[in-house]
Amino acid sequence: MKIKKLLALSLASIMALGVLTGCGGNQDAQGGSSAEGGSGDVVEISFPTHWVGVSVTTEWFQDRLAAFNEQYGDQIKVNVEEIAGDQNYVDKMKVLYSSDSLPDVINTGGYNLIDSMKDQLVDLTPYVDDELRTHGTDLCWETNSRDGKIYGIPFTRQVIGYFYNKDLFAQAGIEKPAETWDEFFEQCDKLLAAGITPLSMGTADSGWVTSLWLGAMIASNDAGEEFMNTIQPKDYNTPEFIDAATKIQQMFQKYTTSDAVGGAYENAASNFYMEETAMIANGPWMISDFYDTSLVEEGFADKIGTAMFPGGVMYNSGKIGFNIASKDEEKLQATLTFVDFLTSEESQVKMLEMTGETPAMEGVSSDNVKPLVNEVINNGDNATRCINDFQSLWYANVVDEISVQYPLLAQGEITPEQFAQALTDAAAKN
Amino acid sequence: MKVKRWKLATFLLPCLLLFGLIYLIPLIMVIVSSFFEWKAGGVFNFVGLQNYINAFTNDPRMARALINTGIWVLLQSTVHVGIGTVIAFMLSRKLRGWKVLRTIYMIPNVVSAAALGVIFLNVFNPKYGIINSFVSAITGAPFEKNWFFEQNSAFMTVTWSWLLYTGMIIIVVLAGILAIPEDIIEAARIDGATEMQINLKVRLPLIRTVLGTGVILAATSMLREFELIYLTTNGGPGDTTLNLPLYLYKTSMTDNNYGYANMMGVVLIVAGIIAVQAINKLFRMNESDY
Repeated sequence: MKIKKLLALSLASIMALGVLTGCGGNQDAQGGSSAEGGSGDVVEISFPTHWVGVSVTTEWFQDRLAAFNEQYGDQIKVNVEEIAGDQNYVDKMKVLYSSDSLPDVINTGGYNLIDSMKDQLVDLTPYVDDELRTHGTDLCWETNSRDGKIYGIPFTRQVIGYFYNKDLFAQAGIEKPAETWDEFFEQCDKLLAAGITPLSMGTADSGWVTSLWLGAMIASNDAGEEFMNTIQPKDYNTPEFIDAATKIQQMFQKYTTSDAVGGAYENAASNFYMEETAMIANGPWMISDFYDTSLVEEGFADKIGTAMFPGGVMYNSGKIGFNIASKDEEKLQATLTFVDFLTSEESQVKMLEMTGETPAMEGVSSDNVKPLVNEVINNGDNATRCINDFQSLWYANVVDEISVQYPLLAQGEITPEQFAQALTDAAAKN
Repeated sequence: MKVKRWKLATFLLPCLLLFGLIYLIPLIMVIVSSFFEWKAGGVFNFVGLQNYINAFTNDPRMARALINTGIWVLLQSTVHVGIGTVIAFMLSRKLRGWKVLRTIYMIPNVVSAAALGVIFLNVFNPKYGIINSFVSAITGAPFEKNWFFEQNSAFMTVTWSWLLYTGMIIIVVLAGILAIPEDIIEAARIDGATEMQINLKVRLPLIRTVLGTGVILAATSMLREFELIYLTTNGGPGDTTLNLPLYLYKTSMTDNNYGYANMMGVVLIVAGIIAVQAINKLFRMNESDY
């Protein structure tokens, strides 16, 4: 009996100790790699990534990680944490930021976390030498810099126009993409008259494809172009924005599918793949899907053309690259080696070939890419007006607000002016 | 037998430590930081009651979130529990197939919220959803109501996605009904009571505390409801389906305003305590009838 009591008390004490040491162990793991990685040892760095599962970038990342491990595996160990979905990834980074425990390497896939987290990100300016600077154009570095300090290392550019179905255009008697917005809406009417729904749109998850149209319309003049290149605009009550919102309202009410309101990107893409709509705005990473016969019919890619937005507008900008939040010099150096590898010319060429993402480096090309990818990049190079995309520039809560305001705008529950004011109010919260 | 205090303390220690580390310390941090302006970028200033004053005097979205949360708590505590209780009484007669029915009613409770969200989005899809297809088939005319995203139907549709699925209430109430001693029912029958009278005047009063438990479960589930709204309407259109947990999440995750979000956390905790106390009192949860 006494032994039983003693045993029970010992177990309770061990459990209590376990709770305490469990918490302590976590801290060891946080800062332990540098201790473990003393001179001559392997330095461990952390890299949570959303390049997992069905992400178009998964294959590229696995390839690059294997190549990196082969070259640097005896010096640097990359601890990869898989987080499915870029929005989940961003949310996780925010949680880590609030507890001052950001990982060594961060890549959000374009979401701008620099402005909200730069106090915990490493100022990379002293580490960007001439060689590293060649990894991106000046525009790309500018996107990753704030007040003259570099907070991100770019590896891709954002080049976005729209895709159209040449067969459906021909059925409606349209010969080529519109050059002005008036002509664009005339074409939409022609498509409607031919029984074809002109546009793929959506409202969920920031209404990505819809907001691309919105941004392109805002940039119809110099003031609008400037607005679309402004980091975190506070005031959306501008004539260009309200005019664009008016057109978006019209597009929702007249030129898109019934599932656009509330629909996500997948719904919009699916409508385009099934040739139920004639146009969709998106980047070249979508092109690989045009050849995927599990999504589209054989020969679908041959029916697709690429176009600049009316007025010669293209999303052609830098993109947020890799941010670094290493806490000590040894890990920082290891992290820089890893990021240098992932942003090298070889990695960027592979990125272009495997995902269709546009390289941040100038003059990088490959014979192994689909012709449509090169068409989109050419459109970007020849655009009259180059703008940045809203997800990179606007406040995160403004991007979220768009999703809940679009349905009201679409159904005429609010006016374009009220839509602009709602976004302005959201921006004011920051 | 008297147990020595140090032995009691040793046995309680693991639980107390876990409670302290996982609940108590974060709870204290939430309460304390609700009096601070705490935002991303290292902003951390004491503002006293300003967050609370702003929330209740100058934040229409907070008002909407509170109203929606209140309506859902009320609906869940009354309609949801009511439906579950009626079904439990029907099942308690143990007619043929009652166990199968009980299991079917539990299905929505065992499916993850993420899967339910996707299912409901598809069921209510304006283009190919089963509801619209059914209406179209009956009327013979195209019907493309956008249930989740039209302002006049969004709140009702979101409510619909949990109001009728009363599996948990059925299980709790059914267990209560089946636990009533048979001799009490027998006595009522001998006195000439009909089955309806026995249900209304004997069984129902005797499961008072069980019903109270069901109401607490239902009410608190609405104070915590997040996933289904987030995955379907994200609080929209506008703020039509915004509730307090979702507003808290958005304030924290997209506005990066942690102090204000923690203020909402405190409001939620207080609302939960008030709700549980009120229900306890209403159902006289501390008194037993048999």
